[in-house]
Amino acid sequence: MSRGSGGGYDRHITIFSPEGRLFQVEYAFKAVKAAGVTSIGVRGKDSVCVVTQKKVPDKLLDPTSVTHLFPVTKFLGLLATGTTADARTLVQQARNEAAEFRFKYGYEMPVDVLARWIADKSQVYTQHAYMRPLGVVAMVLGIDDENGPRLFKCDPAGHFFGHKATSAGLKEQEAINFLEKKMKTDPEFSYDETVQTAISALQSVLQEDFKASEIEVGVVRKDNPVFRVLSTEEIDEHLTAISERD
Amino acid sequence: MGDSQYSFSLTTFSPSGKLVQIEHALTAVGSGQTSLGIKASNGVVIATEKKLPSILVDETSVQKIQILTPNIGVVYSGMGPDSRVLVRKSRKQAEQYQLLYKEPIPVTQLVRETAAVMQEFTQSGGVRPFGVSLLVAGYDDKGPQLYQVDPSGSYFSWKASAMGKNVSNAKTFLEKRYTDDMELEDAIHTAILTLKEGFEGQISGKNIEIGVIEADRTFRVLTAAQIEDYLQEVE
Repeated sequence: MSRGSGGGYDRHITIFSPEGRLFQVEYAFKAVKAAGVTSIGVRGKDSVCVVTQKKVPDKLLDPTSVTHLFPVTKFLGLLATGTTADARTLVQQARNEAAEFRFKYGYEMPVDVLARWIADKSQVYTQHAYMRPLGVVAMVLGIDDENGPRLFKCDPAGHFFGHKATSAGLKEQEAINFLEKKMKTDPEFSYDETVQTAISALQSVLQEDFKASEIEVGVVRKDNPVFRVLSTEEIDEHLTAISERD
Repeated sequence: MGDSQYSFSLTTFSPSGKLVQIEHALTAVGSGQTSLGIKASNGVVIATEKKLPSILVDETSVQKIQILTPNIGVVYSGMGPDSRVLVRKSRKQAEQYQLLYKEPIPVTQLVRETAAVMQEFTQSGGVRPFGVSLLVAGYDDKGPQLYQVDPSGSYFSWKASAMGKNVSNAKTFLEKRYTDDMELEDAIHTAILTLKEGFEGQISGKNIEIGVIEADRTFRVLTAAQIEDYLQEVE
């Protein structure tokens, strides 16, 4: 098997291309965008909020079964942007890992440990030919005992960083530009400001005003570190506050 | 390693006798952020650029320079996720040595074992080589040492070396400035000047990382404030 240029295999499995790139990883990023959904996460002074679009493509679908926001433990949330099937398998494994951690070590898995675990698993898929990378960008949120509210983003390449605010999906770059402007002054958002920044960022970038049923919002707060998905009533309150503010 | 369906090596010889996957891995390293190391008479310094993709990234959550043992540190150029795997394996190997021999692992041995892992991934079935080069800095009974390990698994001891985007300019700069009797403080200044040479934008304590080890045999990563002090001295 002589492979001068990878013999075309560099596009099919995660081996290097002549320019030192991993095409399969790059294609995995494209798969995240192809899902057609944009997500946003914002970290405030004592809370973290993530928002994503809730697209129900068929009226016959049961909308309660359409979700990208998953509790991994009572205190850790995961927002998976990209292919739903890959998202579900990642969440299953993450839940298992977090439960084993709690059993083995006697305390709750911290946010950054979960993010690192997800990222390390993603890295394995980029190095071993037998499994393709997952087409998911995972945003992990929780309240860390020592460091306060934490938001991490893990991508198919195996990178993970902590973020003050971030985005993933179709309009990722536009959203990041919007958020960079908002966070340039290093503001310390209250809980309401955090949620409203996240929702208004999504509205601005997608250039549409949402109904409460069209978005999913998940939060963790220092005074209530449980990961919670907001109800439609709570989302409506925030949406009203945003429109009154404008 | 790998599924049985992939029990053949993905890194194979080309007709001219080259292992092209390793060469591509080196290209991946060459497009990574610049990092460098300098061995002084009384210590070693390693440094790297820390350019983050956005101001929204929390820079306190990122540390590129990692401790392998209390007296050995490492920095990489290339693919961050791959470096995490190597750091984890190296730490485990160092611990196992310590458990068995009841003494800290010598730098050369740890480098050799890490390099062996990297070589494995160029020959085993169903895996690709690591897309990182490592600079390992340590201080043991043999004194201060600096090693560079490449994706092929080959390693050499260096007086000073650089890797990543700006490697040729950085190495030329280092060749001019390096002296055998250099002390650690000089080495740190030279490291900063070398990074500054190819740096795009304004260099600061927040967008570079520096790790040092001296005769106290304790590897430490400098804080942003400490780096700012050095930057002012260099001005």
